[in-house]
Amino acid sequence: MFSAGFKYFIGLTLLSVVALIMSIVVLDQVALAGTALSMLIVASALLTGLLVVTRDGDTQRPQSASTSEVPGQSMWPLVASIGAVFLVVGLVTSSVVFFGGVVVLIAALAEWMVQSWSERASSDAGYNSVVRKRLLNPIEFPVLAALGLGVVIFSFSRIMLSVDRSTGASLFIVFGALVIIGGTLFAIKPDIKRSLGAAICVFGALGIVAGGIAGSSFGLREELVKARSEGHFSHPECGAERSKYFDKNATGTLSLRSSINATIEFVNGQLTARVVGFSKPQKSITVPRSTPTNIIFRNLETDEFRLVADLGEKSDTGTYGDTEKILVCTQMTVAGGEQELTLQIEKPSSSGYSYNLTVAGVEGQRIEVVVP
Amino acid sequence: MTHSAWHIRLQTFLTSVRRMFAHKPKALVGTLAGSLVVGSCARNASQDTWQPKGPNAEIIDNLQQPIFAVAGIVGLIVAAAVVYCVIKFKDRGQPIPEQTHGKPALEITLTIIPALILAVVAVFTFGVIFKLAKTDDTEMIINVTGQQWWWEYDYPVQTELGIVQPIITSGQLVMPVGTKVLLRITSRDVIHSYWIPALNGKRDAVPGRVQTLRLEADEPGIYAGQCTEFCGLSHANMRMETIALSKEDFATWVANQQSKYVAPAEETLAKQGESVFLNQCVRCHQVNGLTRADGTPAIAAPDESVWSGAAPNLTHLMSRNTFAGAMFDLVSKQCRDEVWHATSDVFGAKYLAGVKEECLNQKDLRAWLRNAPAVKPMYSNPTQLEATGGKYRGMPYLALSEDDINKLVAYLLTLK
Ligand code: HEC
Ligand SMILES: [Cu+2]
Repeated sequence: MFSAGFKYFIGLTLLSVVALIMSIVVLDQVALAGTALSMLIVASALLTGLLVVTRDGDTQRPQSASTSEVPGQSMWPLVASIGAVFLVVGLVTSSVVFFGGVVVLIAALAEWMVQSWSERASSDAGYNSVVRKRLLNPIEFPVLAALGLGVVIFSFSRIMLSVDRSTGASLFIVFGALVIIGGTLFAIKPDIKRSLGAAICVFGALGIVAGGIAGSSFGLREELVKARSEGHFSHPECGAERSKYFDKNATGTLSLRSSINATIEFVNGQLTARVVGFSKPQKSITVPRSTPTNIIFRNLETDEFRLVADLGEKSDTGTYGDTEKILVCTQMTVAGGEQELTLQIEKPSSSGYSYNLTVAGVEGQRIEVVVP
Repeated sequence: MTHSAWHIRLQTFLTSVRRMFAHKPKALVGTLAGSLVVGSCARNASQDTWQPKGPNAEIIDNLQQPIFAVAGIVGLIVAAAVVYCVIKFKDRGQPIPEQTHGKPALEITLTIIPALILAVVAVFTFGVIFKLAKTDDTEMIINVTGQQWWWEYDYPVQTELGIVQPIITSGQLVMPVGTKVLLRITSRDVIHSYWIPALNGKRDAVPGRVQTLRLEADEPGIYAGQCTEFCGLSHANMRMETIALSKEDFATWVANQQSKYVAPAEETLAKQGESVFLNQCVRCHQVNGLTRADGTPAIAAPDESVWSGAAPNLTHLMSRNTFAGAMFDLVSKQCRDEVWHATSDVFGAKYLAGVKEECLNQKDLRAWLRNAPAVKPMYSNPTQLEATGGKYRGMPYLALSEDDINKLVAYLLTLK
């Protein structure tokens, strides 16, 4: 039913659309390539259309002359016009609406085109619908599935952001367990009614979406709200800990464990460095210049402490040649906890400044950072 | 050479090759096989993986020889079976035999035998992996930092070895023989990989991570290697050499690396070179102990103009005999051969002699100073620096006059 020529040109059209999108994403300047690819798209789409209209000499099936002249009902003109409205509204409001409109318009036109084409494919309505499905289902199903999954996942993430941490963990376990149990049931009882399976999935998804809507109207959980207002991920100063909401239990989130430069241990009031290759604890670590270097602070005391890295001074921009200390620190680390710290030092130790690691509030303990 | 010129050359070449073999398929096969055999015969290839020169490489070799044999035998059996079937069951017009599906006994055997072979290989392989990952028997540490397109080595303070202040060098890693050295490898820009085939396998240099590699040499000598993770334009020119010295010679080397900077005498060409260096080079290259005219230490700031944030430390440039990622020799061919081919008892003395004026490879060093990117591909053209915010990758063209180059060479020669 689809002639080789049709397949060739539809493929060419799709390929050049992909190429155009890629070139926009990848290249800085698309002027020439963009023009060429757009022309290619127009030309091959035109040829594809022609082949569709002329049916490319397909004589296997009765021609459209003998098919019923009354087109079936179609929702696509309606969808296309909605898309067009979005497109126009988007022009004056936001680009998201505009591109949404473009996508809806293109999708609707494509569906519309294929539908009307398939209705004239033969006089057999059943066959026509098979033709339509064969062409469009491979595209429709994955796209709809991705959209549906996206909505479910997004809703789930809204739920997780609004409940507190331990509830979040339990929810995760419960959901995971439900999915496994459901999957197992379907696997061992494949003769379960399809409609039952579908109903469970649909209701589950609807439940999550409803939860997501509720969650986002509920707002973020308290720590996240605080952390956001306090700049959780920047350390503007190394003074007193500003908030009890900082994550002090980073231990569980260190992924660098095996490939760090050194582990700085604070135990019995002593600060020492464990460096791979040195069997004894060290009082200094050597860090190559201008190199991002990860260290771990391990607090084996019974109190909370934080590690402070004194990385020299930078001259103020003021007129008096003042200098300002460069300090970097970990967050407060609970007893037995670990925190990671990344150092990068541009000037060698021979520039006359000694770089040090100390523990805030503890006198007389330091690890020297040597930069060759 | 332009693109089309290459193209035409390649085509002519291919055509002549095709003509050569057009009617002689046997000749083609013979030539291919011949070049394979000849290629594997190089006796003194310096990067030969089959010639271990230290315990770590030995461990790998002891694993790889039997596995290679096993794999070879299996390969031969399979090839023979294929050839046998191709000939025996050739289509001679005989009727197609009855088709069957499934033969459990055969299938199970053919699954179990390879599984057993792989299991045996795995046991030994794991043993080797763990042996090579050991770090608790380390006797010496060297930090290795890769960047486009050279390696930097720094030696943390290790008083037992006479290292009382950090040592920093590039291109050639110097270590004592018979010592379990642990390299702590990282990178300043992209992923590189450190590989001295005669001494151990490869280890990636990954920014932000410190990965370890054991190195130990049995005999004094030079062991060559090269970066084995594609790292950009001059990846092929990112080489390195490991120099193993006897323990006494190593102590001498260490002492020299820690020696104080000696400024050239007043009114000499070298002294003028020092001031050219202060004007032109110190913004990237550190020379420890070098001071400006007003007595303040000259501290390089490579992070301001080089993307990786580093340029080779030149304090003891003339104590190594290669430069620019070991791409060029710092010594003339003749002097180089004397070091490379020295027997192990005199090797140390030859190497420690450093680069004397009569041995200096003037040609390559001057070409480097005249226009570095012309001799080693690097990004230094302002139009190529957009991606790096205006910073160079490699050393830029500095438009020095021949006069300045003379002065600089005289000065560099004092950096023993
Ligand atoms: C913008 C920074 C910059 C400046 C300025 C600069 N260099 Fe370099 N130089 C480099 C970099 C980067 C390398 C490493 C290049 C490589 O090997 O790929 C290098 C390599 C070298 C080497 C080889 C060192 C070795 O151990 O491999 C020498 C010698 C050298 N430069 C001399 C000079 C001299 C002399 C000057 C002054 C005239 C100078 N350079 C100015 C960045 C710079
Ligand atoms: Cu590299």
